[in-house]
Amino acid sequence: MRLDSPIVLLSGCVGFGEEYTRIEGFSNRDAGAIVLKGTTLEPRLGNPPHRVYETPMGMLNAIGLQNPGVDKVVDEILPGLDFTETRFMANVCGSTIEDYAAVTRRFDDSPIDAIEINISCPNIKEGGVSFGNYPEMSAKVVAACRAQTSKPIIAKLSPNQTDIRENARLCIEAGADALAVINTVMGMAIDAESRKPIIGNVRGGLSGPAIKPIALLKVHQAYEVAGPNNIPVIGQGGISNAADAIEFIIAGASTVGVGTALFYDPLVCTKINDGIADYLKRHNFASVSDLVGTLQY
Amino acid sequence: MNVTNAAQRNRGTIFVEDASVIDVQSFPGKQFVIRLHAAKCAARATAGSFIHIQCDETIPMRRPLSIMRVDVTEGWIEVLFKTVGEGLRALGNKKIGDAVSVIGPIGHGFVPSSERPRTLLIGGGVGIPPMVFLAETLHEDNFDWHPLVIMGSEIPFPFDMTTSAIPTPWLADEISGSMPLLESWGIPSRLASLQGYDGCFRGYVTDLARKWLMSLSKSELAEVELFSCGPTPMLKAVASLAREFDLACQVSLEEFMACAVGGCAGCAVRVTSSDGVAMKRVCVDGPVFDAATVFAE
Repeated sequence: MRLDSPIVLLSGCVGFGEEYTRIEGFSNRDAGAIVLKGTTLEPRLGNPPHRVYETPMGMLNAIGLQNPGVDKVVDEILPGLDFTETRFMANVCGSTIEDYAAVTRRFDDSPIDAIEINISCPNIKEGGVSFGNYPEMSAKVVAACRAQTSKPIIAKLSPNQTDIRENARLCIEAGADALAVINTVMGMAIDAESRKPIIGNVRGGLSGPAIKPIALLKVHQAYEVAGPNNIPVIGQGGISNAADAIEFIIAGASTVGVGTALFYDPLVCTKINDGIADYLKRHNFASVSDLVGTLQY
Repeated sequence: MNVTNAAQRNRGTIFVEDASVIDVQSFPGKQFVIRLHAAKCAARATAGSFIHIQCDETIPMRRPLSIMRVDVTEGWIEVLFKTVGEGLRALGNKKIGDAVSVIGPIGHGFVPSSERPRTLLIGGGVGIPPMVFLAETLHEDNFDWHPLVIMGSEIPFPFDMTTSAIPTPWLADEISGSMPLLESWGIPSRLASLQGYDGCFRGYVTDLARKWLMSLSKSELAEVELFSCGPTPMLKAVASLAREFDLACQVSLEEFMACAVGGCAGCAVRVTSSDGVAMKRVCVDGPVFDAATVFAE
């Protein structure tokens, strides 16, 4: 799949694709692809407040997959999106492997360009542990979704595991066409005065510049497995500017995900696109793909 | 009617502006009023709408601040805040000429109805700004509104209190402290505090409001609507007061916010209406909600 920009706007940060278009100067065309809000089989109200909390150079979030359910997304939201502006990707979530398969099947019969599998959801049949923290469980989810669609599948890998390489390898074997690395890092925040957690869900996902060094390493490790298999990696985790994006590409990312940085600067995409173009020119690279995985050591 | 039409405009464009500080006033209790040149934002702001402001380049997450006043001709907006953490402390340290990035105006504002011209505006602490904005809007409108503004604070009020020349027969003469700006517009205002400040009503804003409501005839009460912004316990009390007198009531809510444009759903609150329970985003579905839908009996 060819993207017009190496930027992918990340799931959960840009709603269902149209929220940011109200901002003067923002265009969906500035992103190569937009990943829609995580979607489940049935509608979900999500978590109680507080859902977000600022932390040093980052933020915690626990939205709880608030979404109207896959039928409404396919029937009512997708027809309103302008697919000539950018590529739209679904983000599939579930509490069971059967849920993931059913949501993927529904998106297969839709104009969506690709399907990202959010394997970091809790597995209710295994006591709520995240599918994505265990390579075998991750691969089972990917295989189940693979059986339901011929559209490109992206496995979004969790950083909350011992060795992301094993997870990457099994997901590729199970049929993933690309890897998104990384999802948020689990964390929490406490109000010492009340001795209560600040996030309504107690725990939440940490994002923003604070997690960039973790993400860079995980991207590089995933690339060691994905690169030889010609599987592209979408590098993500704390990318806030062009310099960050270039570092991820050097580490092995073919495209870069931008999420939390949009909250800082809704017009950041054009700055990152321009900065990457300038870097490629200065270093005599013909395209982003020539720079991918060129880390020297 | 201008006021009601204006409030609907905010589903429109949101601007990202490099605003410049043109005035800073500080008040006791670490309170600041900052005037910013942000012409596009000023042109579209309505009472109840807010800006998402970057306090300092070293603190990437923005802060939502209610707009207190605008001057469309001169292109400025004014915000009031109390420093609670590092971010707003940095904003309070800004000097005239400094630049700050602003996103706005955001959100559905207050919508008064000509059927209920006796508007009771109740603001508490940093919930005062949208009440001032609404009062100025009603003052400038060509319709014959009859506003009364009640403000409460447990730290000194963020203005130099004046003795009101506007009579309030329902209240003892010695309770005559008012906000000079409102006084200059001919709008009666009275102040409440538990701190025993001279000229202020000793008690809660809702106790003071009840005194006024009890002085009204049945036909007058039928023309009353409540508008409020402030701490959640105060808003709950205002919602309860509205229920007690069977009055319409609009409240402006606050919640931790990340994107502020509807993309992340981080600021969602539970809203109950005839359509059932939903999680609504304070940023773009609010911040103003029908009190009966957010505070259950």
